[in-house]
Amino acid sequence: MSKRTLKVFISVLLVTVMIVSLLAGFQGTFTASASTKKTVEIKFFSNLPDRTSNQGKLEQMLIDSYMKANPNVKIKVEALQDEPYKQKFKVYVATNQMPDIFMVWGQPSFFLPVMKGGYAAEIKPEQIKNYGFKTSSLKDFMYNGKIYGLPRNTDFMVLYYNKGLFSKYNVKVPTTFSELLDAAKVFRKNGIAPIAINGKDKWILAILYQELVVKESGDQKLIYDAISKKSVSKNQILLKAAKDLVELVNVGGFQDAFVAADYGAANNLFAQEKAAMYYMGSWEVGMAANPNFSDSFKKNVDATYFPIISGGKGKKTDILAWHGGGYAVSANSKVKNEAMKLLLYMMHPTRWAKIGWQQGLVVPGQNWEKFMTGKETVLQKKLTQIFSSATSVSGTVWQDAFTPNFKTEAETLCQMLVAKAITPEKFLSKIEELAKLEVK
Amino acid sequence: MSKQSSIAKRDKTILLILLGVFSIGQLFPLVWLVDFSLCKSGDVYGANILKIPSPPQYINYIVAWRDGKIPQYFINSVIVNFVSVFLVVLFSLMMGYAFVRMNWKWSNRVLTYVLLGLMIPIHATLLPNFVIFRQLNILDSYFALIIPYVAFSLPQAVFLMTGFIGSIPRALEESAIIDGCGIFRILFQIILPLSKPALVTVTVTTFLNTWNEFIMAATYLTSDRFRTLPFSVYNFAGQYASNYAVQFAVMTIVALPSLIVYIALNEQVTKGVTLGAVKG
Repeated sequence: MSKRTLKVFISVLLVTVMIVSLLAGFQGTFTASASTKKTVEIKFFSNLPDRTSNQGKLEQMLIDSYMKANPNVKIKVEALQDEPYKQKFKVYVATNQMPDIFMVWGQPSFFLPVMKGGYAAEIKPEQIKNYGFKTSSLKDFMYNGKIYGLPRNTDFMVLYYNKGLFSKYNVKVPTTFSELLDAAKVFRKNGIAPIAINGKDKWILAILYQELVVKESGDQKLIYDAISKKSVSKNQILLKAAKDLVELVNVGGFQDAFVAADYGAANNLFAQEKAAMYYMGSWEVGMAANPNFSDSFKKNVDATYFPIISGGKGKKTDILAWHGGGYAVSANSKVKNEAMKLLLYMMHPTRWAKIGWQQGLVVPGQNWEKFMTGKETVLQKKLTQIFSSATSVSGTVWQDAFTPNFKTEAETLCQMLVAKAITPEKFLSKIEELAKLEVK
Repeated sequence: MSKQSSIAKRDKTILLILLGVFSIGQLFPLVWLVDFSLCKSGDVYGANILKIPSPPQYINYIVAWRDGKIPQYFINSVIVNFVSVFLVVLFSLMMGYAFVRMNWKWSNRVLTYVLLGLMIPIHATLLPNFVIFRQLNILDSYFALIIPYVAFSLPQAVFLMTGFIGSIPRALEESAIIDGCGIFRILFQIILPLSKPALVTVTVTTFLNTWNEFIMAATYLTSDRFRTLPFSVYNFAGQYASNYAVQFAVMTIVALPSLIVYIALNEQVTKGVTLGAVKG
């Protein structure tokens, strides 16, 4: 190395050191100046990193309009996808650095420890008197009779189907389980996947199992009670539902290799009109207007109730419905009142519910029927009809109703059941063992 | 003679076919990525492995560039990466020299201690580092990334450098000392040019690791200002459905620099790894 290169090397080193120290100084002044200003800064932690479409767009829209109406308020959004979100949420909890307003899943396996630990601020019933939340919809956001969060959406399960494919092969849209099996056989013969499902994600299988239990028993409480009382393996209805699920697999009711299909794979299979049905939640309401899908698909897509089972006690209007995501305000926030104001602003029925529904972005957590304009897509209309006709709803699905570990194990068992790695009898005895371990 | 050459020819054909299959297997994911980055999001997961985009959706790249905030994240990535790589190269050279050539009491034990770092999983450090950075008031800054990146890359780099410096003949340094060289001149004028292959390897591995790192960045950064490129992929991830095509466009853009770095320095890297190995 020549003397010249040595000089260059040393100067690069010096420059780096200088930049580094400059940055350090800059940062110090930055934080100092922020604290002397009078503006209020609200930290907003969200699980919607895509701020340009769907719910992320709606969230950002409301945040922007709030800042416009309140120029002294600055809202800093931090958005991470579900898994990194949960990871960082733990870090925030452990270091007592909770953001001022944050997203929560209204499931005991996620939100209950947060409420118990006193991390979420209480929301008084009178604050949301005219907001159109039913007490039942707030159940999973309550602890000891106090409200700690507000749900943003209504989630419920329906059977999406492709009208075009059903008429092409002259199949009746199934209203009973045996019709569903017959339809599956016809589509199989013609090389069309009957039901698209994302078996790799596991949770959908657990939900489908609960759907069958409800349709067999007509009793929404049955599966929860059986697990709480640890009397699972002897229960004939639970066994019958597990057998139904296996039967659906045996007739080829799902696409090939459905156990390995993830969310996008199942969704696109249906959207590319290669599957006749799609078992999924109401959050897919936007399919009918998605610019990424073909016009033919958008014309043909429709939704219906999950079929009833002949001999079962469940009605088609006994549906699986719950409130998944929502928001809470940090109990230890320095700007608690401001954050609460923001939450109440966003969740006001004329904002999240009305704008979200009318733009076809969400199925809101509050009653949305009064915001119907008549310009809704077929899916929006059908979903509204299905939900408003419900005679009973499930609340948080069974695998989310207990501990995080229970969720993981139970979902894996469901996947093993449909992959026929275990028999229905074995499945139930495993669930019972799990309940004894995990459920107090 | 003719028989021999025909055997050689046959061997060569088999070798070429094998290598061909292997390279197709290696390159296919990239081709696939670029292909679907030009399709509509709904085309992904179709029946065909590849699909001719008609018409090609160049808009994906425009959206990726604009909504993925690529220019801003790119600058952050470059700053964080260059400083980290520079520091790792500098420290590993100096440490490697100190461990191999200098005689001091705790030399071996300190080397073992540094190499222990190879076994520490990133996830175990997230929480303690978060607390430390908060107390130092450097959360949400370039330091919050540079410090852990350097710390996590150093053990491997030191491992490579000790092996490599050991293979440099002592005679070179001895003659340098006779000519009146001090320690720093030996290090920077004799050792540094000779260790080029190993330093390039360190540069490339550090660069690739830090360029794609996400979980530490997600934990230690809160504001948009300091975010690095891997975040732009997530800017198109919805809670349920994601905009796949645009994500692919982002990934193509993000993958390009690492690809270029690797292609440019490929030969040096293989040299650096193997040369160090013989006398390690």
